[in-house]
Amino acid sequence: MTEHDAIRSTIKKLIVTSLNLEGVSADSIGDDQALFGQGLGLDSVDALELVVAMEKEFRISIQSDEIDREVFGSVSHLATFVETLRTRQSPTPHAP
Amino acid sequence: MNRSVVITGVGAVSAFGLGLGPIREGLLAGTPRLTEVERPEGYHRAGGARLAALVGAPDLGPWLPAGAGRRMSPPSRFAVAAARMALRPAGDEGERAGTETAVFLSTAFGPASFSEKLYRSILTDGPETASPFLFTECVANAPAAQVAIACGAGGPSVTIVQREAGSLIALGRGASEVTSGRTSRALVGVVDELPPMAHALLDRYGALARATPESAEVARPFDRRRNGFTASEGATVLLLEDEDSARARATRPLARIRAFGGAFDASASRVGWGTGVATLRQGLLRLLDRAGLGPRDLGLVVSGASGSVAGDRLEALVLRALFADLPLPRILAPKAVTGEYGGGFLASVVLAAERHPFGPTPGFAEPDPELGIVPHGGGALPRGGLLLAGSLAAGGSAFWVVLETL
Amino acid sequence: MPHEARPRRIAVTGLGAVSAAGWGVAALWPALREGRTALGPFSRIDHTRHRTHVAGQVPDAPFSARLPRHLARLSFSERFALFAAREAVADAGLAGPLEDGPVGVFFGTSTGGLLESEWYLDRFWQGNGGRAALNLMAGHQLNAPGDAVARHLRVTGPVETISSACASAALAIAAALRALQEGEVELAIAGGSDCLCATTYAGFNSLRSVDESPCRPFGQDRGGLSLGEGAGVLVLEPLERARTRGARVRAQLLGAGASCDANHMTAPLESGQGAAAAIAGALADASTGPEQVGYVNAHGTGTPLNDAAEWAALVTAFGDRAPRVPVSATKSIVGHLLGSSGAIEAVATVLCLEAGEAHPTAGDGPVDSRLKVDLVRGEPRRLSGDPAALSTSLGFGGANAALVFARGPGEAA
Repeated sequence: MTEHDAIRSTIKKLIVTSLNLEGVSADSIGDDQALFGQGLGLDSVDALELVVAMEKEFRISIQSDEIDREVFGSVSHLATFVETLRTRQSPTPHAP
Repeated sequence: MNRSVVITGVGAVSAFGLGLGPIREGLLAGTPRLTEVERPEGYHRAGGARLAALVGAPDLGPWLPAGAGRRMSPPSRFAVAAARMALRPAGDEGERAGTETAVFLSTAFGPASFSEKLYRSILTDGPETASPFLFTECVANAPAAQVAIACGAGGPSVTIVQREAGSLIALGRGASEVTSGRTSRALVGVVDELPPMAHALLDRYGALARATPESAEVARPFDRRRNGFTASEGATVLLLEDEDSARARATRPLARIRAFGGAFDASASRVGWGTGVATLRQGLLRLLDRAGLGPRDLGLVVSGASGSVAGDRLEALVLRALFADLPLPRILAPKAVTGEYGGGFLASVVLAAERHPFGPTPGFAEPDPELGIVPHGGGALPRGGLLLAGSLAAGGSAFWVVLETL
Repeated sequence: MPHEARPRRIAVTGLGAVSAAGWGVAALWPALREGRTALGPFSRIDHTRHRTHVAGQVPDAPFSARLPRHLARLSFSERFALFAAREAVADAGLAGPLEDGPVGVFFGTSTGGLLESEWYLDRFWQGNGGRAALNLMAGHQLNAPGDAVARHLRVTGPVETISSACASAALAIAAALRALQEGEVELAIAGGSDCLCATTYAGFNSLRSVDESPCRPFGQDRGGLSLGEGAGVLVLEPLERARTRGARVRAQLLGAGASCDANHMTAPLESGQGAAAAIAGALADASTGPEQVGYVNAHGTGTPLNDAAEWAALVTAFGDRAPRVPVSATKSIVGHLLGSSGAIEAVATVLCLEAGEAHPTAGDGPVDSRLKVDLVRGEPRRLSGDPAALSTSLGFGGANAALVFARGPGEAA
């Protein structure tokens, strides 16, 4: 499994657990499936909850203006975004 | 504009189950439904209260489809389920309340478990890990907002936070929206959640009934041995409508609201009850007088007495002062069965207004000579007269509602 | 219930305020008039680990604001409320306890004594939750500030607190209006009080709703809200009663309206139709046509969504006239007081009507070019004629409230 695969897999688990999506299995979420609106039906508050979960899990810091429909459009896009941040950022000061 | 306002629907979530039926049965049997509260390390004191009327994790089934409540706090779930139940008899609209329907909900402590989790995470993991889910659902008006969304209620959204008096304030102020003609419908009620920490803190204030060498842990309204109330959680929501609209829809109203009003006892401490008998009596007489009524018109009292030492004393003395030389009417003390908070009292008020039979008052056996009140001993309720429901809040606020049996 | 042929006219006879601008109306008005923001660094809570470091904190109480010793142990929210209520009652020319006659207290809050509860819980979870500290939790309940006011003034009438997010205090003022119009009370103390605390600061930051700079309502580059704290109180009574006792009528409260978006827990309806319904309801209640409104004290939080939705609501309310109705955003000066924002802003609205001028909104960045709002900036704007004023409060959970004020009859600005 590549790092990108691992990140995608982790993100799917985070979506299910942090967003209380009971009855949805992480595996069933498509890499390119739309997360908002029609796809998985998430909304802005879900996005923000996912941000908090990802920041904690991946020890990254996500700026407010990076939280947009494109980055959060699908698991693949999110995984790419996380990889970029991890490469760019040193461990965040407030990471445990 | 002074339209007549009636109750046309009731929904409830309680320790007894879903709907008004289980509460009615519990009241008839005179048996509370209590469970042991969880005791996380360090929360409770030894020798304190152990029991509460808890909702548990019921299947809210048709009232809250799976997934619909995924971001809801427990009080929001209770309130939405109860609101939908209350709307059920509303005809073709089903669970859609209508864009002008007002929502007046009260809560004593708001979404307590989410608030606790949120604050704890801020302390433990850092403020930057605060959960948007928890935050949006820990505001006191989250349940009212969820009810409005679930039921499409676009009228005023008001959350009353006045502790033990809140449910009657929500009922009265919601009724006022209808009598004034500002709206033709209002969903009114109360919701509370009792996580272990809330229970533990109430106990630290000495508010809760606890076991003694002479007695098990029992709430004893008006009883000489009373030493506190039993806390409970849940939700009760009523649908209020203007009477003409209700009758036009061939809906049978459950009761008519005739009067309501509040008063304040400034001698109360922030978390206790005072001794302002004369002030409260005056407030009560005033609200009756404004409706063209007097104590003589009252045939039944649903008292907010809960087993609180000071609260029940004040309640009793106010009632005795109100009726003065008149014989006391039948007095119900349903919190002996339902506990304090969570809508059991409001549900009892509706049942009493319909003059369902109530069982004996559990926990009451020895009258307190200073109070001189003997609550209902069981059986059918007298038919005549209006019903006075009252609840005195810790902190000094008091509110009463007068209902007419139809 | 007794029948009233026509609702009684209700006067505002007293004002009280505590905010980041200082203690008292005398501290608030110059800041409003000058469009001088009181937002900036703050120390009420530790915000080191947050992305934002701006709020509207009430400065330490000057000696004259100190409460009697037995009241000094109350929470900040209770103390703000008591100060503002005492100021308002004195302003209304009323002395001593208000025990005679039915007087009610109608309050709004989002936080109550939450700050002090946070201190208690911190110790509680560290195993130090002893009896002595329990007093910190006594002000936790949301009814605490309103009750404190009622207790101090020894009122005997109805006492109720509302907590419907940002619409709380406006709804409380509306409740006071109803109680007065229906003759339930002869005098009402209406307002709200809130305090900065860790939970709300973290919560709004988690929603990424907080601007790193002092908020820029309706601004092109607005980036969110700024939290504030403080209290606002109005004394309300029937106009006739005020005249009979020779009280100064500072304004009239003509009407109130409320609604719920019933759509989303945090985001307002983009169309602004929920807010528009509250505004329409308020104008109808006030028997006031939209063309009579000459000033809007907006909710204006500075979040991208609120300001756009609110503008849409104003367009619905005023039609083609909307771009010509002067608007102030008081939050640019004192911040967002959450539950009590409606109260401090009602005070600001009355002050503006009295002075006959709309106060400038703080800040000098460009106004959002998509919103044709006439945002008053720089200098106060003279209000022409004898206009009615609209104050809006559009809250979390879709709770909306609107109040309509006018100058006292026969009062010239």
